[in-house]
Amino acid sequence: MRRLLYIVREAWANMRTNRTTTIVAILTTAFTLACVGIFLLLYVNLRNAAGWLQEDVKIMVYLEDAVHPARRQALEQELKSDRMVFGVLFISKEQALGEFRAQFPAESHLLEGLGENPLPASFVVTLAPNYRSPQSMKGWAERVQMMEGVAKVDYNQEWINVLAELIGYIELIAIGVGMLLSAASVTIIGNTTRLALLTRREEIEILRSVGATRTFIRTPYFLEGAVLGAFGSALSLGILKIGFELFRQQMQLASRFSGIESLLSFFPLPLCMALVMVGMGLGLAGSVVSLLRVGEGRT
Amino acid sequence: MDAIIQLIHVSKWYDRRAALSDVTIEIEKGDFVLLMGPSGAGKSTLLRMLIGEEQPDEGQVFVHGRNVTKLKQSEIPYLRRKIGSVFQDFRLLSKKSVFDNVALPLVVQSVSEKDIRRKVTEALRAVGVDHKKDQSPNSLSAGEQQRVCIARAIVNGPVVLLADEPTGNLDPERTGEIIDLFKLINARGTTVIVATHDPYVMKQINRRAVTLVQGVLMPEGRPAERVEV
Repeated sequence: MRRLLYIVREAWANMRTNRTTTIVAILTTAFTLACVGIFLLLYVNLRNAAGWLQEDVKIMVYLEDAVHPARRQALEQELKSDRMVFGVLFISKEQALGEFRAQFPAESHLLEGLGENPLPASFVVTLAPNYRSPQSMKGWAERVQMMEGVAKVDYNQEWINVLAELIGYIELIAIGVGMLLSAASVTIIGNTTRLALLTRREEIEILRSVGATRTFIRTPYFLEGAVLGAFGSALSLGILKIGFELFRQQMQLASRFSGIESLLSFFPLPLCMALVMVGMGLGLAGSVVSLLRVGEGRT
Repeated sequence: MDAIIQLIHVSKWYDRRAALSDVTIEIEKGDFVLLMGPSGAGKSTLLRMLIGEEQPDEGQVFVHGRNVTKLKQSEIPYLRRKIGSVFQDFRLLSKKSVFDNVALPLVVQSVSEKDIRRKVTEALRAVGVDHKKDQSPNSLSAGEQQRVCIARAIVNGPVVLLADEPTGNLDPERTGEIIDLFKLINARGTTVIVATHDPYVMKQINRRAVTLVQGVLMPEGRPAERVEV
């Protein structure tokens, strides 16, 4: 019990002795991790947005004008029984015209000069959740395109591809920036540990002389690094949360983006906790690196 | 008699200068030995070898049956737990109380709270500073600080007590008291080795004397016979 108390007290004493360095280490770690957090937040929200868009994607299967009603019915059955298909809605030529007129009342005169209704009948197909990836959609569309009576299969593939690509880039940037700034955090905390080691050199010598093991001597420094990392990480989450709320408020005020703010989300609690743990790990790594490099003195 | 310490043909060089040169000594269990010699004679090097802080360039060092030169790094702390060390500069932690300073060797060994309280109180009583247990070492006189240092060295019940110039910072009266304490500790069965170059200490402790001059071991004798060193 006293041993545990001793270790905790020593870690606390280290932080108090080098108060300024400790505060600077926490603040620098917090801002460093907040920079990583910005990319992570962007990544999380874009992934969410991609998810919603993916869910909303409908595939239009346009039919040939000359298709026989029996073939149309057979085609509908075929689509409905496809395991990749979640829902099928038939839109007749008349319904398509009615929708066009309702959606674009100003342009409805454009169709009048053509005499016969030029809009094709179609099926609006929603794919099952597991098959909404760009690759699955492409494969399915190519297969249906070959079916008898189908004139064209259309969906907003480009959009989805662009978004997927963008997410890929942000993921790469987040990983790159994350690794670079994490290394910076490790160095900052490592230097704090190094300073603590130098300040307490005499005490370490005494501990050695009375038979303290390496683990006993090193544990307070490991603990100190972990605590610095955890505090830095928690503070970075606080900074990010404040920044995020301010951004959301601005979006709310700008009428152009009104409504978007409700779609934006901060890190969920488990991820916040995971980030604090990551901070703790980085702090611990800093102490380990420092102790491996400079050691705690003579044997 | 059992040898508790053995140095066999031990040599150590620092930048081609011999700190110890072919030293062979045997110290029996329960002995009180004075390690004498002028500054730079190799006394501290020899003591540091006994606690595994220095390794000889040649020869073997045995302490309590263990070959210190063959010990792994991880085994050295366990050797040091059997040896009490007393330093000229006391090496007390000013931010901790007298009690906590003395408790340190027990804390690193995870001794129970109850035993720590008992053993520390006994050690402080043995050196006569139990009434100052809650004070900071800085508030004590040099003699009292050295007593606290001795209490820390004996709290663990070591088999050997090493003292490196323990009276270097004390006046003759306090020196006499500290020497009496060492004699008392020795009388209770602990092997005591005191390194000193102080002729007053040599006179006071009329026991076996081992003298080093420039790392070379001189023929042995009683301090009274060799006080001119």
